[in-house]
Amino acid sequence: MAHVVLQDLVKSYGGFKAVNHVSLTVNDGEFVALVGPSGCGKTTTLNLVAGLTPITSGDIIIGERVVNDLDPKDRDIAMVFQNYALYPQKSVYKNLAFPLQMRKLPRDEIDKKVKEAARVLDMTHLLERKPRELSGGQQQRVALGRALVRDPAVFLMDEPLSNLDAKLRVQMRSEIKRFHQDLKATIIYVTHDQLEAVTMADKMAVMNGGYLQQYDSPAQVFAHPVNMFVASFIGSPAMSLIPLQASTANGNTVLTGAEGWRLELSPRNAQKVAKATTRKVVLGARHSTIKLHKSAVPGSVPAKAYTVEPTGDVTFVQAFLSGAIVNVSVPPNIAVAPDEQIWLEFDQERMHLFDGETEMALKAN
Amino acid sequence: MSTIAETAPRAQTRRRMRVDGWRWAGRIFLVFMLLYTALPMIWMLITSIKSGFAATQFPPQWWPDEPTLASYQKLLDPQNSVGQDFLRFFWNSLFVSTVTTILSVIVAVPAAYAFSRFSFPGRNFLFFAVLLRNMFPAVIFLVPLFILMRAIGLINTHGSLILTYLTFGLPLAIWLLKGFYDNIPVQLEQAARIDGATRFQAFIMIVMPLSTPGIIATAIYSFIGAWNEYIYAYTFLSKNEQLTLPVGIQRFFSENTTDFPGLMAASFMMSVPVVVLFLVLQRYFVRALTEGAVKH
Repeated sequence: MAHVVLQDLVKSYGGFKAVNHVSLTVNDGEFVALVGPSGCGKTTTLNLVAGLTPITSGDIIIGERVVNDLDPKDRDIAMVFQNYALYPQKSVYKNLAFPLQMRKLPRDEIDKKVKEAARVLDMTHLLERKPRELSGGQQQRVALGRALVRDPAVFLMDEPLSNLDAKLRVQMRSEIKRFHQDLKATIIYVTHDQLEAVTMADKMAVMNGGYLQQYDSPAQVFAHPVNMFVASFIGSPAMSLIPLQASTANGNTVLTGAEGWRLELSPRNAQKVAKATTRKVVLGARHSTIKLHKSAVPGSVPAKAYTVEPTGDVTFVQAFLSGAIVNVSVPPNIAVAPDEQIWLEFDQERMHLFDGETEMALKAN
Repeated sequence: MSTIAETAPRAQTRRRMRVDGWRWAGRIFLVFMLLYTALPMIWMLITSIKSGFAATQFPPQWWPDEPTLASYQKLLDPQNSVGQDFLRFFWNSLFVSTVTTILSVIVAVPAAYAFSRFSFPGRNFLFFAVLLRNMFPAVIFLVPLFILMRAIGLINTHGSLILTYLTFGLPLAIWLLKGFYDNIPVQLEQAARIDGATRFQAFIMIVMPLSTPGIIATAIYSFIGAWNEYIYAYTFLSKNEQLTLPVGIQRFFSENTTDFPGLMAASFMMSVPVVVLFLVLQRYFVRALTEGAVKH
């Protein structure tokens, strides 16, 4: 196993930069998820690491080697593809044996390793089948097996679960996580599903528009998103972002909504707002940090319920506030009707404040 | 209420009858087509086992009184001058067609792969330029190509035919194969390259086996095209010992009498390789023609 370093990595197609000065370090044995919406550059980044796409500038280091100009076969990596890319004309056994044959291992050693991998992944009975005779989950497992027979320095996974149905996806998710824990493998995992990233990864790299937005542990990214994009992308349902106007009078900082209501900020939040470049401030709040009241209480702001979605455990209420839709979760025993007048109370300790111009998170110091 | 109940089944029967009418029209059409294509072949076979006299009899004998394989024996007998000629023509045709086929596969496979996988300047232009030749009837190029071949000294060589057949056969071959490569996921090659193959090895070990049906179809197509071609062979070659079968068979028309049984026996034997090739490999051919059309 090895660590992977990306230094100032750039990939441009003509004038378009698909990957824009990305730098990050994946430590030995770490599970890192590259996450972002489609077209954000995460798969391109993975292909750069794999060597399937030549880099425009920057460096890629795997272990102690700079691998910029090495062929994929010489980078000591294994990759699992979204469509599995199993060789359709070969049996499962031959699919697993192929990487070993290419490395000219003796036949008995190949046999031993293939059987071992098949045993680990519980597919010994499938070895003679062709890929098209397997279910989606089994194909997925063969793809995983083909990656692990080689014992590579780094595993690259490109949305390996997105072709599976919902139930199987959850099951394979825990299998891959277990696989990582058992092998202490270095894994770079591309996904557009933030839930996969949050649940599986040690660290997540959130990308958008070719830029690395934030690189940290899922808990940190969740608790301290650096900008509005990360805030809205990570977490489900998404964080509500409400554009407001800030003003200060008599030493008190107040946020004003489009409907004219006023929300007084705590001293610490007032400090943050003071850092904003203009008076435009965006308030971010996750559904669980907002309290819903049926009548006005001090510190609450008036809103109108729009839709009500019971999910069993909790009921999600969407409300209109200052031109934005706010997601609030309430216990299922609280009945809210659409178009009902409600009052929302934001948790001053757990609210996020963003600069309305730069979209960056505002910090107190 | 009752009117609806009454009219509905009647409308249904009428519709079913219309469908049946079309189906019968289709069947009759197919039978007609079958007769149209099969009867000349059958007549060719029957004539080839007649004697020279019986072949010209009128009214014709549907089945000869004395069927004979004499024509075949004569054609396949290397001692006999007719047999020598026929076998030489056969060999010439086989040589020209086989070399054309091999060369067209050798050129079309990498060309189609490049068109499918690589982006290079002028790619689209080249791809459509490849089709330009097929927009004109082949005869248009007869005289220019003759002059060209004479200039480079290829007249009266099989090389002139092979070159010409390649220019005619390659465009479709490339198109056919490109459709095949487009349908092979690029991730398969990427996986192979990560698993330790070079780009070339990935092509040979993973992509080539998957495109076998396409390659076979391309080969059949080139072979049949070259095997049947007449007008260029007739124009470019004048020496007796170089003629190919379509031109050579013409020699059975002599000034005084035409040896119809001999002509038919030669024609039959000429169609054998093509029919056998097609029957054995037809499933690949059909697959190849439909493969590129549908996205999986």
